[in-house]
Amino acid sequence: MDALETFVVESAVPQEAEAYRSIVADVISELVLGGAIGRIKIVLRPEDSLFQMAILLRGSQPPVRLGDFADLGYGVMERKEVKISLREEKYLPLLLEKLWARYGRGQVLQPERKTIIVRQDEDPGEEIEYLKSMLIADPKQSLQSRLIEMAIRSTPEGFRVRYHSMKENSFIFVASEDTLKPEWIQEAHNMLAELKEAR
Amino acid sequence: MAAVLEPYIYEGGIHKHTLITELLEDLGGYLIQKIPAATEVTLIMLIPKKDVHLIEELGKKLLGKLTPAPLTGTEIAVVSPTLAVHHLPHSACDVAEHLRRDGANTNMIGLARGMGRRVALSADYERRLINEHDIALFSFGTFADCIKNKKPKLFEGIEIPIVVTGGPDLRTEDIPNADVYIGNIGRVAHRLRKSEELSSLDIMNKKVAEVVGIMREDISKDPLAVLPPRVMKEIYEQIPEIEQVLTPAPMTLQLDGLRVKLPYDEFREKVENLEFDEGTRLMELARVLPSRMKNYILIKIKRESEVGFAL
Repeated sequence: MDALETFVVESAVPQEAEAYRSIVADVISELVLGGAIGRIKIVLRPEDSLFQMAILLRGSQPPVRLGDFADLGYGVMERKEVKISLREEKYLPLLLEKLWARYGRGQVLQPERKTIIVRQDEDPGEEIEYLKSMLIADPKQSLQSRLIEMAIRSTPEGFRVRYHSMKENSFIFVASEDTLKPEWIQEAHNMLAELKEAR
Repeated sequence: MAAVLEPYIYEGGIHKHTLITELLEDLGGYLIQKIPAATEVTLIMLIPKKDVHLIEELGKKLLGKLTPAPLTGTEIAVVSPTLAVHHLPHSACDVAEHLRRDGANTNMIGLARGMGRRVALSADYERRLINEHDIALFSFGTFADCIKNKKPKLFEGIEIPIVVTGGPDLRTEDIPNADVYIGNIGRVAHRLRKSEELSSLDIMNKKVAEVVGIMREDISKDPLAVLPPRVMKEIYEQIPEIEQVLTPAPMTLQLDGLRVKLPYDEFREKVENLEFDEGTRLMELARVLPSRMKNYILIKIKRESEVGFAL
């Protein structure tokens, strides 16, 4: 599935659908979701105060562990130090936050850009094993929160009654100003099924 | 009655710009607002009609630019349904910025519960605050159905001219109680900078200027007892505390008055006792009221028919 291979916005008035498509496109690019969404369909019925959206996601990236982007080794032996050499700086802020939480700020040193020294009292060997598999970033988690943010931003603001369903690689969102009718939610599920069947 | 004044904006370097302000003073014009930005300065001013060419020539010598600014001396409320990301900063802030380019002073007002169709409503306080302005501009969204049938209930209780912007191409008559409707400025999530977007903003400025023109004509039938810029000048001269006000516009002109950004309780008496060369005090010419915006002072100038004379 290509990125955004289907991107449809439907409404009774074609010009309004077109204008709304540009809003959604802006929101998607603002939240950097372009690469994550495969197919998306939105149906708007302003006369019913109804907004329906179905999204089919592309495969998401696996969680990032410390071992994936850094080499771990011993620092100065007698001080029981662990030395982390980063190959990628992208995750540094997240990593530092996790290290500070575990060891305290004073115990985490950064003598130069890509090297971090952790002082601690345990056996460095065990600690290295633990650190190697420490979860640093979960793209899936952040993708979910960005998807929800996108849904809220692209819905007309007054539509505060919401239904959402998030499964493995699909996302359904229905919003209205009034109580949601079961058939509206069913319609959204049908939209998703349509998206899945396409090609 | 004083000479006819024409509104202009001067944009140029800060170097020697005081020559312009001095000449303006000599000619009997008024400097409404001065906005310095690093090495540039923007002057919004009212120039006596027959002397405009003098300022223009001096401006040319200083490599600046003088352009007419028809919205000078108006305070416009740009009303957005709420302050949420759905409506701001685009397009409401772009609308406000474009109005300011023609000399208007704008205030952004985000209603607390203006969103939605059935649930949209405005509070008494909000309506009174909006009514303190010259014109209310409502920035609406994409759907014709909402703009025609649902949103106009936000206009209830608004006594000043109402300008509406929105996405679809509608006629003004379709929207109950609106004075002007301008299309193609609906909800967007990006800055308005494409040429068609900018040209609809230009149309908006033109239409708002038309509304202002009608309002000015209405006022000229029974003129104000004193011109608002004259009051502004006297306040600068007689109430030195105004120099310590840090807002970009310590005083905002309106078509029939002005807003002074000093605390009402403390300065009311001083403002009322403002003296004019002709021997009158401001309290004879105007009502000094508490503004609903913070604790500012709102001056509404009386008409000639009420006072019996005009300065």
